Amino acid sequence: MRRVAITGIGHTIFGNLSDFDLVDVMGYASSEALDDAGIRKERTIIDQVIVANMGGCFLNHQAGIASSLVSRLGLEPAQAELVENGPASGGSAVKMGFAAIMSGLADVVLVTGGEIMRTVPGWEGTDFVASLLHPEAEYNYGLTLPAFGAMFTRMYMERYGLTERDLALLSVKDHENGEKNPFAHVRIPCTMEGIYESPDANVVNNFIAEPLRLYDMCPVSDGSASLIMCASDSPKMKYFKNKKPVFIVGVGSATDTHCVHERKDPLELKAVSMSAEKAYKMAGVSAKDISFAELHDAFIILEIAISEEIGFFERGKAKEAIQKGVTRITGKLPINTSGGLKAKGHPLGATGVSQVHELVKQLRGEAEKGRQVKDPKYGMAVNFGGFGNNVVTTICSKE
Amino acid sequence: MKDIDFSVYKVEKPEVYAHKCPDCGTLYYPVPMLCRHCGARRDPSGVFFSSWEKVPLSGLKGKLLTWTRVYALPTGFDDRYLLFGIVELENGLRASGRLLVEDPEIGMKLVAKAGIVREKVGEDVYGFMFDRK
Repeated sequence: MRRVAITGIGHTIFGNLSDFDLVDVMGYASSEALDDAGIRKERTIIDQVIVANMGGCFLNHQAGIASSLVSRLGLEPAQAELVENGPASGGSAVKMGFAAIMSGLADVVLVTGGEIMRTVPGWEGTDFVASLLHPEAEYNYGLTLPAFGAMFTRMYMERYGLTERDLALLSVKDHENGEKNPFAHVRIPCTMEGIYESPDANVVNNFIAEPLRLYDMCPVSDGSASLIMCASDSPKMKYFKNKKPVFIVGVGSATDTHCVHERKDPLELKAVSMSAEKAYKMAGVSAKDISFAELHDAFIILEIAISEEIGFFERGKAKEAIQKGVTRITGKLPINTSGGLKAKGHPLGATGVSQVHELVKQLRGEAEKGRQVKDPKYGMAVNFGGFGNNVVTTICSKE
Repeated sequence: MKDIDFSVYKVEKPEVYAHKCPDCGTLYYPVPMLCRHCGARRDPSGVFFSSWEKVPLSGLKGKLLTWTRVYALPTGFDDRYLLFGIVELENGLRASGRLLVEDPEIGMKLVAKAGIVREKVGEDVYGFMFDRK
């Protein structure tokens, strides 16, 4: 039976790369993936390129990015398409790559996600991301994604008794992992004293959108991540001798209402639970089989809410797991071993691809010292678009 | 000298509207292209299908579900911070909007008003402003 093997991975550092050209940055991550797969010289075996990017037209004044990347890498005449699916563009591109192989349309696929956001000042970047909200009922008010993250957090705190301390604990955990990740945007450790306990914490960790503070939010990052996939039954598999393949065993995605206020219970992230259910079903596994996960924590609360929606913890109980350190690298179910969006950064189009990059790295046993999960079997990535209106889940396995 | 007749200059009163499905009567904010309930079509131009009735929403009472005070505002807003909330109105509709109360609390009673929420060149954008009364 045809399966999808990930045979090469590449990543740039995440951070401020605004001095560089968007397609060059994507090209760098792609070249890393070609080298990792050991096919730089034979790279024309790639017959499909899928690019994930959200803001190229707006932030970089560049269109037709997929064709541009093909040419920059000398991959002509490979098929090429761009996937724009908001902050879930990366996850969607992985899913499209999977679909291209499983349908027989392609045997070898290059999936590259990238974003250069720091070409514009913060308020313009915030405005650009907010443009994915409903134009009349949300965006016009000056509402932003952090504003929705904040309103979600306040509701969650009221219902389940989550505290600011729990959020700070998670932030410390993410920074602990990010510090050891060479690609992470924020590679400084932070302490409970610095961001929560000391009198200075109010200044260091100021409010962005109450009750969310600076350390409850991901930074605005540039960067790119790349994967090479091959059909397991293709004769082209013979080119991939460099690394042991990791398999994509489950993918799923789902949507929810555009406006948050239209949901019966705004705390219920149905697109998350449904996308996970589909991926579990395809992989033939359940939440208890997952060894570690990359969850889309653009705001710290999302790591909590997503981990409950996908069945890792009961609703309202994730905070107990955080307090016990279950999701730390040394815990039973490590979450965001890369540092998550919080510490690794969140270059929109790159994020979903970067999450799967981390799954492969962990499953190969190649993660840096101090952040390698012990003998993982299944890794899971949840890429969250809009405010939960388009979510993609991917499950990877060694076997 | 004759007084100038200002009544010829129409002054538009800010208002926010829900839309009513002409077939089953379901109210929407914001308005979709197909009724979720019965599937009736909407034609924004009103040429091929009858337009959906606009129902003004200002003056309705509501309950605050959640709120935030945002300091990092996007382009186009000069305020130091703005308050936003999601409100459930007495007719069952919900809406996100601006809060005019400085010390909001979840569950508090608010009244929906319409006001200018964004100023564009040559255009004022109307939206919800929720206040104590």
